[in-house]
Amino acid sequence: MAVLEEPIKEVLELKNYINGEWVGSESSQALDIVNPVTQKTIARVPMSTGDEVKAAVKAAREAFPDWRRTPPLARVRCLFRLKELMEENFERLSRMQTMEHGKTIDESRGETRRGIEMVEVATGIPSLMMGYSLEDIAAGIDEYVIYQPLGVFCHIAPFNFPFMVPLWFSPFAMATGNTFVVKPSPRDPISQVKIAELIDEAGFPPGVYNVVHGGADAAGILLEHPDIKGATFVGTSQIGRDIYKKCGETGKRAIVQGAAKNFMVVMPDSNVEGTIPALMTSFYGNTGQRCLSGANLVIVGKDDAFYRKFLNAFVEAASKIKVGYGLDESIQMGPMQSPDGKERVLGFIEKGITEGAKLVLDGRKPKINGDYSEKCFIGPTVFENVAPDMTIGREEIFGPVASVMRAESLDAAINLVNASRYGNGNAIFTTSGKSAREFQYRVESGNVGINIGITAPMAFFPFSGMKDSFFGVLHGQGRDAIRFFTESKVVIQRWL
Amino acid sequence: MALNTASEVISFARRLEEESAGLYETLARRWPATEDTWLTFARENRKNIIQVERAYYGVISDALEGCFAFSLDADSYTFPAGLLEKTGYTDALGQAVAMEEKIIRFYSEAAAQSKSLMADVPRAFAMIARKREGRVATLKSLPDK
Repeated sequence: MAVLEEPIKEVLELKNYINGEWVGSESSQALDIVNPVTQKTIARVPMSTGDEVKAAVKAAREAFPDWRRTPPLARVRCLFRLKELMEENFERLSRMQTMEHGKTIDESRGETRRGIEMVEVATGIPSLMMGYSLEDIAAGIDEYVIYQPLGVFCHIAPFNFPFMVPLWFSPFAMATGNTFVVKPSPRDPISQVKIAELIDEAGFPPGVYNVVHGGADAAGILLEHPDIKGATFVGTSQIGRDIYKKCGETGKRAIVQGAAKNFMVVMPDSNVEGTIPALMTSFYGNTGQRCLSGANLVIVGKDDAFYRKFLNAFVEAASKIKVGYGLDESIQMGPMQSPDGKERVLGFIEKGITEGAKLVLDGRKPKINGDYSEKCFIGPTVFENVAPDMTIGREEIFGPVASVMRAESLDAAINLVNASRYGNGNAIFTTSGKSAREFQYRVESGNVGINIGITAPMAFFPFSGMKDSFFGVLHGQGRDAIRFFTESKVVIQRWL
Repeated sequence: MALNTASEVISFARRLEEESAGLYETLARRWPATEDTWLTFARENRKNIIQVERAYYGVISDALEGCFAFSLDADSYTFPAGLLEKTGYTDALGQAVAMEEKIIRFYSEAAAQSKSLMADVPRAFAMIARKREGRVATLKSLPDK
């Protein structure tokens, strides 16, 4: 198959978007954004100065009073226009994600669609943001709740879904009348710049949405800033825990989504034909770089024949995955986003071998379709005989590695899942409603899949998480997001 | 050629629709008496493309098995897209029927493979397959000349 046309033709010099203007950074520090497949530099991103980060917050703070007074219907008209612009630019946005991240074009289109869905749901704010009331709580006295925006919110974005993840938050924040500052991942910031271009074109007032580039220093300034009312973050649990603490110290609301180690539990009564492709997506989709990826495959039962048959089918399917440039429509798995990410995964594979797991599919020397450097590529990998206390059974690898375990019974499998420090997206594959119900009821997991390998909630449901996978109370997306981005003001009134 | 990903299956479906529309437009030029039938089919093909793309672009998400939903052999669904100068009306009808049957098989097999994985896409495929079955019946009912 031919490679689709690349939308980025020359090196983009990325700027900050502050107060409705594209502003070049004064910083002398910048990073090259390199296409992980072609190894060509496609953009340069500045590491903004502290003053620039503060300028973005100031713009958002100053835009807030007027934006808050803008009627919800008028606010969502901007979102409707943004949605239309995103649809018009759907393919270009998707291909850019593939270029800056490396994911396949199907995955990028999926990411674009999911991002647009967030905007679509947020356009329901005139209904979603309504408060509630009760007459005569005592004779002649009424009481009601009003949901009000708080001010400036920020988002510190991860690299694995450069387009979609910030959209879990920003449309809801803006629709409810808040203003927003996003700091894209410095590894793949292009998508967020493109979104800001569309936001600009959609007619949002200056300062309502701001983009400021940078790394940990910029994030630190945002988290310390007294004008930021709340922060949202998706990344590692270690950093997430620190961010959550920082938000507590500075009185900010927080949605902090951390790491994961997701278990895919396969019952002996599962529909094997339907389960294998679902597991391929789960373990190898986005090259395993997502917090909902399958990590541990638990095959349940004492039946050795079923175990062997299922494992063989899984390994065979994994070994056939076509690896290459995601702009080729036939490619099923792209590279790791960076050489560092690849090195990290290789380290886990070495640990798996050292700790005694059996490597049954070795992705360290992948067959790459097309004439591309191996620099970021790693192939599908499968370990058998993985114990839950091994590093590869316990820690998030964030790459295309499956750790296969056995459990004698559903009960034992649920105990395995619940022994993990993480609780993000665990799934069961079964044709038994009883087993599914038992799993759903007992499993300590914010998102649960039943015959679904990627438990990504739709935009109108919260993106949940438990244990070390989530720090906070309310979640992103859906009604939770409306509550997160608003304060409940309770009015009690009597007219004399 | 193997077709595994949703994107390449959608591209292939688009190609089948465009090529079969091309054949019907040729038939319309060669046999103007039955032009309405051929041009209706060609127009339907364009609508089929819209229907398939709408289903795909509407449902594709970070959760669906887009990269792993199919295992099809493209070569088994290809057909001669042109019409030889010497081909007569009866043979042309036969060529159209054979083409439709291949396209129906493509949509049916693609729908079956992705039924538990891709939600709206197999539904769209199955609907087009059913529509084309009606088309085969129409083709077979046309009088020989």
